Amino acid sequence: MSQEDRKEINLIRDVLDNQLVDRHKQPMGRADGLIIELRTGEPPRLAYIEAGAQTLARRLHPKLSNWVSKLASRFGKDGEPYRIPWSRVHDVGIDIDVGVDAEKTPVMLFEQWLREHVVGRIPGGS
Amino acid sequence: MKKIIQVALGILTSIGGFLDVGAIATSAQAGAAFGFELIWALVLGTVCVTFLVEMSGRLAAASKHTLAEAVRERFGAKFYFIQYIVEVVVDFLVLAAEIGGVCIALQLVTGLSYRWWVLPVAFFLWLLLWKGTFDLIENSVAILGLVTLVFVAAAVVVKPDWSSVLAGVVPSVARHDTAHYLFIAVSIVGALVSPYLFFFYSSGAVESKWDREYIGVNRAIAVVGMGFGSIVSLGLLVAAAVVLHPRGIQVDSYNQAALTLVQPFGFIGFLLFAASLGITCFGAALEVGLDQAYITAQAFGWRWGESQKPSKDARFSMTYTVVIFLSSLLMVAGIDPLQLTLFTMALSAAILPIVIVPFLVLMNDERYVGKYRNGWISNAVVIFIIGLAFVLAIVALPLEILGG
Amino acid sequence: MTKRHEVHLELLLGKHVRDKDGLKVGRIEEVRAHEQGEEWVVKEYLIGPVAILERLSALPLAGGILGLVTGKVPSGYKVPWDKLDLSDPEHPCLTCTRGQLEPLTRGKEAGKKKGKSNVKL
Repeated sequence: MSQEDRKEINLIRDVLDNQLVDRHKQPMGRADGLIIELRTGEPPRLAYIEAGAQTLARRLHPKLSNWVSKLASRFGKDGEPYRIPWSRVHDVGIDIDVGVDAEKTPVMLFEQWLREHVVGRIPGGS
Repeated sequence: MKKIIQVALGILTSIGGFLDVGAIATSAQAGAAFGFELIWALVLGTVCVTFLVEMSGRLAAASKHTLAEAVRERFGAKFYFIQYIVEVVVDFLVLAAEIGGVCIALQLVTGLSYRWWVLPVAFFLWLLLWKGTFDLIENSVAILGLVTLVFVAAAVVVKPDWSSVLAGVVPSVARHDTAHYLFIAVSIVGALVSPYLFFFYSSGAVESKWDREYIGVNRAIAVVGMGFGSIVSLGLLVAAAVVLHPRGIQVDSYNQAALTLVQPFGFIGFLLFAASLGITCFGAALEVGLDQAYITAQAFGWRWGESQKPSKDARFSMTYTVVIFLSSLLMVAGIDPLQLTLFTMALSAAILPIVIVPFLVLMNDERYVGKYRNGWISNAVVIFIIGLAFVLAIVALPLEILGG
Repeated sequence: MTKRHEVHLELLLGKHVRDKDGLKVGRIEEVRAHEQGEEWVVKEYLIGPVAILERLSALPLAGGILGLVTGKVPSGYKVPWDKLDLSDPEHPCLTCTRGQLEPLTRGKEAGKKKGKSNVKL
């Protein structure tokens, strides 16, 4: 396969900030961060997509990120932002198709908390 | 056949929903203070919003993205954050003003102070969003909003000098009170070219699952709907110009604005004014409240959709819930709705460049809208009007604050 | 916690790149990746104002106008992965001099951006 035939993607334009969609076609946040792994003698490897308010906040200001982390821990998230291994990414187009189930990932923790503690308690919510 | 019905509905929604607290306040003020002199601002605002609404629908239909989604993806989180904060602040103030409009309408009819009506109105607003679907909300706004056609009737009944009306279409310099003249002109443009409209309209198009087949439908709705809608606004301005201006009556409160219908139609006119104010503001409040939920959910990539049950998109639903409650507090606190409206409309005009420039870039980007890119006319018209509005706003806002 | 050999691209975006002699080259505006066997790896970094215009790919006249206004034609560079040292991600630097880089031209890049990339991985 010649150099030009290899599929290429522009990471900033086509991956970062794009919508993540799970295996059930449900939205699961955005690609707020992209992690590459540096290696000696070899090109850096695409390792993870990071999703979550902490990652997003850090792009705006590092202090904001700390504050968001503290807030997030009250809804059941641990300190670490959620990472999706690049191997789970199936398709990069309008949205990024990811082979996970959103409901089982930390990105939905706040949504689930609200569903249970607030929305579920208001009539007509479900 | 189905498309024709959708076009018709879309047009009706645009006409019925054209007026809101901003358009009513600014049109009435303009007519009362300056007669027909500011009709050109109305025309400018209408032309601009027509182009922008059409673009908003075209973006959604061609790219399957809403405006907010496209801006974050294209320009990154850091830029979008700035636009988002600005938009949310202005939306918040607009929502408070719209809620105020509904409450004033109730005050007009019942005599009970608007502040008592705030929480019931806010609750009813919330209830409709919680239980309703997007189509239900838009269609009821459309049908009920047609009551505003009474302003067109009033404009005819008061027998204006139509040649003077026509003369008002040509932009003119203020003959007196320049600062106030510019301020009202800017407020009219800000009221008509409301930034929330473009985010809302593109979200609605995506909710309705528009695709490239709908480009034509969208164009028809935008042009005909906005065009006829503006006639309603013009009707109010003309009526105010004939009824209030010669008597030197300024619109310092909505009571005076109501005179525009009382003079031609008597007590029925008064009731119709209250109905128009109440219904259109309620409809606009629904849209602005929803809009804040849309832009927030879309910024973060949450699930969103008015047609879904709240439990399916809890964060989206809680966003409009919180926002409606918080902004209603501004009215409970007793802030004057008319003053808030006029100020917010001018502020809307001032922030237009932040919203419109990325929008324009997207509309020229092949990767989003494919072959449906903007022609040079669309670009030119929008750039011109936005530039003008921005300059006027920068000039007029401080002058008005200092002067008033 | 980020491991020492991990780099966050979203934080790298917009950082100034200097060359071996300490001269400013431009800001990192885009990162291209391609498949290599089972993995995806970084191919090159796009640096400089042309890269921004390419990313915005909006008003085609913008570059020409910029050139007229500033007197300089916007420039940019393609930096292959092995020419960028990211051991300090806050201060990325080239392992070569600016003159040794391949410049970006708008025409060359324009051909690559047709259609939103729909890449099945």
